[in-house]
This record gives sequence, C-alpha cells and structure tokens, in this order.
Amino acid sequence: MDPVMMKVLDSTMVSICREMGIVLMQTSYSTIFNEALDFSCAIANRDGDMIACAEFCPAQIGGMPLMAKSVVKEIPLDQIYEGDVILHNDPYRGGLHTPEHTLFKPIFVDDEIRGFAVSIGHIAEVGGMVPGGFCGEATEIFHEGLRIPPVKIVSKGKDNEDIWRLMLANVRTPRYNFGDLRALISAVDLGERRMKEIYEKYGVDAVDQTCNDLMDYSERRMRAEIKQIPDGIYPFEDVVEDDGIEDRQYKIFVEVHKDGDDIVADFTGSAKQAKGPINATLGVTMSATYNALLHMTDPTIPKNSGCFRPIRVVAPAGTVVNVDFPAPEVGGNTETHPRIAGTVIGALAQVIPHLSMAAEGCTHGNFVFGGVHADTKEFFACYDIEVVGWGGRSFADGNDACDSINGNCRVTPVEVFEARYPWRVEDWVFREDSAGAGKHRGGVGYTKTLTCLNDEIIISQMTDRHKTQPWGLNGGLPGGMGATLFMKSGSSEWQTAVQAYNKNSPSKFSNISIVKGDRVQLVMPAGGGYGAPPDRDPEAVREDVAEGYVSADAARDIYGQRGADK
Amino acid sequence: MRLAANGLYIEEYVKCANCGSLIYESELPSTVAVEGKGLFCSQWCVDWAKKREERKEQGS
Repeated sequence: MDPVMMKVLDSTMVSICREMGIVLMQTSYSTIFNEALDFSCAIANRDGDMIACAEFCPAQIGGMPLMAKSVVKEIPLDQIYEGDVILHNDPYRGGLHTPEHTLFKPIFVDDEIRGFAVSIGHIAEVGGMVPGGFCGEATEIFHEGLRIPPVKIVSKGKDNEDIWRLMLANVRTPRYNFGDLRALISAVDLGERRMKEIYEKYGVDAVDQTCNDLMDYSERRMRAEIKQIPDGIYPFEDVVEDDGIEDRQYKIFVEVHKDGDDIVADFTGSAKQAKGPINATLGVTMSATYNALLHMTDPTIPKNSGCFRPIRVVAPAGTVVNVDFPAPEVGGNTETHPRIAGTVIGALAQVIPHLSMAAEGCTHGNFVFGGVHADTKEFFACYDIEVVGWGGRSFADGNDACDSINGNCRVTPVEVFEARYPWRVEDWVFREDSAGAGKHRGGVGYTKTLTCLNDEIIISQMTDRHKTQPWGLNGGLPGGMGATLFMKSGSSEWQTAVQAYNKNSPSKFSNISIVKGDRVQLVMPAGGGYGAPPDRDPEAVREDVAEGYVSADAARDIYGQRGADK
Repeated sequence: MRLAANGLYIEEYVKCANCGSLIYESELPSTVAVEGKGLFCSQWCVDWAKKREERKEQGS
C-alpha cells in the first residue's frame, strides 16, 4: 500500500464526484436538483463497490452499492459496452424508491471495464397516482409511478429512443424529466472522462490496486471505531405513526449486536409491511444503518464500500424494513429511513451516549403538488422538501431547521419557489417552544404558510410526526410535533386533511384540490432535547428567549430560569 | 425477474429467509436450503437465524 498515492487518489476521486455534482446542479431543470440538491455522484469499481463519493445525500450514498451490484447481476459485464448509460430505479432490485433514478456509465480502459461513473437523483415527477411522486394513499407500487429495472437509455453513445419515448410518455412533465435525465447523464459523462484521465496518468494496475487499498483502509478505520464500543446486544424501537391507510402505528425494532469489531443490526420484530407507502426497501434499511454508524464514528473515514464491510443488516422480507412486491414504498426512503437510523442511534446511545443524538424531526415534509400553470398552460409538478429540527447532542444543541439526517438537501429559497410555482409564501417562521428542552435543546421547528394563486393545484403529502413526538435522550424532553393545516378561501378556520377533506391521516394523503385563495400551512417538527433542562447554561436560555426560540414562561417553568426575558 | 420454462415473464423475487437479500438465479448454487425454514443466502444466515431462535427460547 502506498499511503501517499492512496490519499492523492482518494482526494482526486472525491473532487471528481463534486465536479459531477456541480454539472448536475447547473444543467438540471427542476428545483429539486438545482436548488434542493437532492442528488449524489459516485465512482464504483467493476464489481459494484463504491470507491468514492462526495458530500451528497446519505440515503443515496449508503444505497448506491446495492443498486450497483444489482446492475452487474442483471446486465453481465460482457453485455455492457463503451458509451452505454444504464438507468435503474426499481425498488425491488436494490433501489431506494421509485423517484430515485440511478445512472451508471461504464469506464472503459484498453477495451475493458474498470468501473462505473454513477449519478443518483430524485426525479420530481414519475407518473403514477399523483403529481410529484409521493402518493400518501398508495396501496401498490403501480400507484407510485413508472418502475424501471436496469435498462440502457444510451447504447454505445446513442440514445435508445424507444426507451426514452416510453419513459417520457408516462410522466406529467416530460420536458422537465428530459432535462433532468440529461443532467444526470452529463454528470456520468464527466465522471467517465475524468476517471479515464486518472487511469491514463497513473496506469490501470496502480489505480485499481490503490482503490482496493483505499477500501481496505476504510474498513480498518471503521473496525477500529466499532471496537471501542462495548460488546453487547442493544435493543431499541420507534414507530411510524400511520401508513395513510390505517390509523395505527408501525413498529421499527432493532437489536444492535456488537461483537469485537463487527456490528449486526437485526430488525427482526419490526412490523409486517404496511398497506400504505411507508415501507422501506432493503436498500433503504442498509443505507439507514450505515448512515447511523457514519454519524457516530470518525467523520474523516473515507466514504466507500470498505467502511460498510463490518456492518451486517438483517431485514426480514415482508416487513416495513424490507418491502415485498407489489407493496408501495415511496415514503420508506424519506420517512422510515430516519426512523431506522434513529433506532440504531438510540440503541447505541445506551453505551456511547456522547456520540448519540436525540430524535430529529424525521421527515422531509414531502409536500408535492402539480397542475396546469395559468400563465404558461404547461403542467408543472414540484417535490418540495421541508426541513426539521435535529436532536440535541451531548456537546451541542440540535441543528435548527435542517434537512432530516438522510437528505442533506437545501430548502428551496422562497423567491425561487414563488417564481417557479403559483404560490405566495406568506411566512416562514421559527416556532417558539417547539424544540425539545434539554441541557442541549433540540433544533427548532418552523411554520411555512402558502396561498394558492392558481385556479387549481393538486396537492399530496407523505410525512410523519403529526401524532408522535421526536424522543429526547438522557432526560431531555421530546420535540414538538408537526402538522399540515388548510384554510379554505373565505374561511377563518385551520383544519387538518382529516377534518377538511375526510382523509384517513393528517400526514399522508393524496390529490387534494386547492383553489385560488386557499391556504396551506406546513408545521415542521422540532428535535428532541439531550440532558435535563435545568442543567442548561442560563446564558443559553436567555439567548434562546431573546431569539424567540423559548418563551419566558418555558424558561421559568421548564428550565427554572427566572427573569429571562426578551 | 425470472423466466419460466415456457418463456413467459414472471415477477418473482426470492429473498433470504434471514437477512432478506434478493437471491438471483445465478446465486442459487451458493444458497442453503433448510427444510421448514426456507432458502438462506449463506451459512452465516442459517447460523444467525438459529442463534436468534435459541436466544428467544431462552428469554421466554
């Protein structure tokens, strides 16, 4: 092993992935890519192992290796040619959920495949039952849009036009989908070109050997981290509050087995798969487990398949953590992923509390909408990501209004949102006393209020934490719940989707018709607190009161701080 | 996922009875079938499932 070469190559490949991401962001059409950055770029070897990625979405990074391996199982290497681009979004073949489109371009050197450039992106509109992909009332995969097993959309450098026509005929926004898929292809084109330059500069044998060394190094670093955790079996459980179809909770249960430098996360005992779309795929559950461990270990470990080797995931088929065909699954990657990661963190918090955090809001809001724009007469669709408060930690407060731990996405700026879609954003404000109190409080939640400016907008949502609070840790209190409220034009009363539209769930619903003047209020959950509230630094409480995060009453009654005032 | 002998497409996904991994037809030779328990992707999964059952019995 040449450590200098390894460091140089690792940094170079990470830079290539970042550059791929910049190309994707700059050339895409939809706000989910160019504003929210819901995509990831990576380099894989010929076996499908991820050898490099950059600071993108943890859900996609952890899920990428399984998808890559399924591609090479379904399309043998001797049937993949230079210039091909393979597309894959199939949740039952290693995918994460239907909107997550993954593109693979082989990297040929001397007529032989050395690896793949990979881009993963959340395509905002995928057909199916609702505009925007998140159907809160789906009961089968066919409600959730077009499912694409690994297929070549580009063959030997030429578009496979039959595939393109078939795909674009099945979505509501073909122009945007075309542009966004082109952006994903541009990213893998760049990755392929850059990696060829690397192979030319250093030689095939040196690059391949160093990539193997790099994965071995990451594995050793991860094993060293795991070894410091006391051996034992650590159980934990949380729930998804409902599935949009039935009003009951679905348990996520894990036993984390730590033995030497290995970890097994066994999810046996989790609920049977739901009728509604909260089910996670195996790829999601693996990714969520990796995500939890990456949050609790040294962040400087190079992120590649090597660091995942010491971690095994047992996810029984036919449960909410490993959905079977043809059950729906779109919310598994957004809502159930952070719940799964949270159970692993909660389990290990019993022995490494200093590396843990209380529960975060655990949702992306997943507020989706579409309609025919009054100005352009063109169909629009949007997947709007909303953010949450994170959990308090042993050394710091939770992040305020930050994308849930599997996303790492940005909020679309209000100005862009209003320019692109027929809504007026009335307010976007932090919520006083939403954060779970604690020595280190949870991150603050917020409220966003929208007024419809179009003749009609069809909205759907797939969120959670409207009935169950994000849990606190080590004496910290739970965070505030979220809500979605409606005020019809001419009314002065806020109502839930259950009250206003007779839906099964206040947090998961489909195809509500909103008309001009109607208002929607998105209330996003906050994080749980860490440690007992009276132990909080009085100066921090005074600052929270001054900022409007904590009321004077709460400062007195919960934190025991008299005289704290704005 | 699989083609039947008559060439018709069958949407069938076979998963490991322990870890839930998808088992491809090409991987069948390395799998372990346990009577009454199903198909396992590896001996590790057979052993893990057995240990889990033993722990459950001891705990109950």
